[in-house]
Amino acid sequence: MPATPAWLASVEALLNRSISQSTQAAAAARRLHLTSLQIEIEGVLRVRAAVAGDRLALLWGGDTAADATIAGSPLALFDLLRGGTSGALGAGKGRAAAAQIQGDAEIAGRYRELFALARPDFEEELSRLVGDVPARRLSQFAKGALSWVRSARRIAGENLAEYLQEESRDLVSKPELEEFLLGVDQLRETADRVETRLARLEQRLRGPA
Amino acid sequence: MNEPGRTVDFGYEKVAWPDKAKRVRAVFASVAAKYDVMNDLMSFGAHRLWKRFALSLTGLRPGQRALDVAGGTGDLARGLLRQVGKEGQVVLSDVNPRMLEVGRDRLLDEGYVANLQCIVADAERLPFRDDSFDCVTIGFGLRNVTDKAAALAAMHRVLKPGGQLLVLEFSAPVAPGLKPLYDAYSFGVLPMLGRLVARDADSYRYLAESIRMHPNQETLLGMLQSAGFAQARYHNLTGGIVALHRGYKI
Repeated sequence: MPATPAWLASVEALLNRSISQSTQAAAAARRLHLTSLQIEIEGVLRVRAAVAGDRLALLWGGDTAADATIAGSPLALFDLLRGGTSGALGAGKGRAAAAQIQGDAEIAGRYRELFALARPDFEEELSRLVGDVPARRLSQFAKGALSWVRSARRIAGENLAEYLQEESRDLVSKPELEEFLLGVDQLRETADRVETRLARLEQRLRGPA
Repeated sequence: MNEPGRTVDFGYEKVAWPDKAKRVRAVFASVAAKYDVMNDLMSFGAHRLWKRFALSLTGLRPGQRALDVAGGTGDLARGLLRQVGKEGQVVLSDVNPRMLEVGRDRLLDEGYVANLQCIVADAERLPFRDDSFDCVTIGFGLRNVTDKAAALAAMHRVLKPGGQLLVLEFSAPVAPGLKPLYDAYSFGVLPMLGRLVARDADSYRYLAESIRMHPNQETLLGMLQSAGFAQARYHNLTGGIVALHRGYKI
């Protein structure tokens, strides 16, 4: 068996700490006693998660068959873990962006629930390293920075859309687009009505059979 | 195990099976006073990070019991004491009374009294009941044990079901290009440091030799599995100079 990277051991310790602090997560772990899940991030890593009692183990690689396997791109797996819809489980190869599940889907679902319940409180973890007050400040700074990034991204998107619609006229505005689509709908309905009338006229001209 | 004529490695030397324990005791009795200073000097302080990493994986909670085998001057035991809190208990054991004395005095000076027990014990024959500890650690001690399989079996026996064993030990470098540098350092600089600081070059030559004779990562992993440990695995630290092996009793 290859060496398990130290960072994976730290992630495991973090998750186990969260599990031990949450009765819900501990119960979810106990329901998974002696089961395993293979997580495969395409071309990046292959990790085996296994539970014994209420303790989760993360092992590098894993050649034996697991109870369930989840494979996909990093984004699809992240989205799946977050409970998003775009990373929904795919059944075929056609949906390349979706995470693929093989084996027992119920066990895979329970692991997903366990990971969601064991999500660490990063402020709490940080406070173990640097103390409560600096951890609070760092956490507030990180939240502020994240909020600023989100807001900046939204404003930049709005400005770009406004430029493309109002200045360069490469894109139409939403009201213009809606008006156009409404016009297309009306034209389609009118064409349908004309088609029906013409059909009736044809029938009359042919006379009764 | 103790049949006449059987030999065992003592560094690069082959010695009679019963003699290894005596000679290891003599080495550590000789270096006990300067052991911590030498650890810092030899590893440039990295041994603190390796031990900290091991402690981060114990999974111990307040109120639980931990055993530090071959605990020597008590570095790991101190971390374990913090984790189990006042309601928990830590047993520090070592086969060498001189090393244990240094560790015990240090921990007592730091205020760990009620929940600390110090016991002179051989890792191969641990004097504890079955299923009595939530976590067992052995830091830089296993390579000095004469019968490693017996020691692993004894540690497995005293662990509670669900309990974890952590073995922190020097191992085989895996990072490309590291081995020649590491060899030069081990056989050139370490004995010199031993001579200058601890006034004992031979003991530090034994240290370098015993590291080379110790089972590599995969062999030790197999030994853990043979002793009955489940979910056994290892983490390489500092390019494999040190490896942390772990396994659970299920």
